[in-house]
Amino acid sequence: MNMGRSTPPDVGLVRDLTLPHLDAAYNLARWLMGSEQDAADLVHTAFLRAARYIHTYAGGNAKAWWLSIVRNCCIATLASRSRRDVSLDGLAEDEPAQWPQANAATVEDTVHLSQCAALIVHHLEALPREFREVLVLREVEDCSYREIADILAVPVGTVMSRLARSRALLKKLLIENSVDAGTHGL
Amino acid sequence: MDCKTAAPMLHAYLDGELDRAAVDEIEEHLERCEQCARELASLQALRNVIREGATRHAAPASLRAQLQAIGAVPEPASGQVSDRILQKRPTNSATVPRWALAASLLMAFSFGIASMKWFAIESVATTNRQAVDRELLSSHLRALAAASPVDVVSTDRHTVKPWFAGKIGQSPPVVDLAADGFPLVGGRIDYVTNQRVAVLVYGHGQHLIDVYLLPATADDLQDMPRVLQGYRLAAIRVQEQPMWIVGDIDEQEFARFKNLLTAGVSR
Repeated sequence: MNMGRSTPPDVGLVRDLTLPHLDAAYNLARWLMGSEQDAADLVHTAFLRAARYIHTYAGGNAKAWWLSIVRNCCIATLASRSRRDVSLDGLAEDEPAQWPQANAATVEDTVHLSQCAALIVHHLEALPREFREVLVLREVEDCSYREIADILAVPVGTVMSRLARSRALLKKLLIENSVDAGTHGL
Repeated sequence: MDCKTAAPMLHAYLDGELDRAAVDEIEEHLERCEQCARELASLQALRNVIREGATRHAAPASLRAQLQAIGAVPEPASGQVSDRILQKRPTNSATVPRWALAASLLMAFSFGIASMKWFAIESVATTNRQAVDRELLSSHLRALAAASPVDVVSTDRHTVKPWFAGKIGQSPPVVDLAADGFPLVGGRIDYVTNQRVAVLVYGHGQHLIDVYLLPATADDLQDMPRVLQGYRLAAIRVQEQPMWIVGDIDEQEFARFKNLLTAGVSR
């Protein structure tokens, strides 16, 4: 480890582990919290937490370890702010039967989708947190299933089914909206 | 494969999370099944829209500076460090008496464990390195035991580079060392330290040498070659790109390969 003598060991290590993934942490916090100020506060809090719990880092993927701390901090704050934040954790999503139906994608769907870039932020932010975070981690952060599983502390199978449900939901929202707004120009 | 099996796998296929056998199966199915091919196109369109439209928010410079400042506290007594680290952001002002109590408790705590921490950190670093070594070696052994140690067979670096670019969006520096007795055999994608990494495979006589391109954040690289179960491992860093070499060739040849690679890549 590259630690200068003047740097206290714990902070130096935490910094080495977390700062390379600071953008990832901020981005995740920003998508979870919905505001820049909250995101910065939460990443700061998470950093302190990482420093305090550095002993829980058992080697391996530092990004996943760090993002899981960031996420936990965000969720704790969200939960303390609002009891209306309904958790979907209780929903049975590990059942194999829960795969979303491949509801007959059409060529038109694909055309509609490709015109929805402007709406995507709106709809992503409107998705329940469980769906939003998995999409952000996969599509924006480009995390592997294994990394997402580590960050969310769920099995890889759950990541797969949740990702599939999230995509199906988002696709539905986008297509409906696109049709309603009559934005498809073909 | 039928649609019922294929449908849930389309996501994993799109995400590059399937192994080669499964990829072959699903691609064969996609060629025959228009329905699934459409579904895949639709998923791909959705992905493009998300990636295009969803912002990746970069951390503000002020936040980075704040966190960096925490690490840059000049040589203090360990108690003071903890004061400083565990201090809240200025925006979240806490009531002073409670804060002072918390700080003194933390001070006492950190004095207590200050000496332990050095050891803990050393061992984390060592454990990391050993864990990476073991992962690399088992990846190498897995590849040797597999039907083919490479996913793309090519002695031509102009084939290998774009193949990687298409698979993992990274085009590794590929050096032609055939003239030096290390012909390129091909490349593969492997899963090491929880991520997909590019592996270049070179041959030398009957031996195979794997060169792993690890992400540039792996900063515990040691230039010292190590021997693990009879296999040599060495790390090099060329133009900020860390690479790990794993092979069972003898020490001299190993060193020669290492030097050729270093020289070739930086050229």
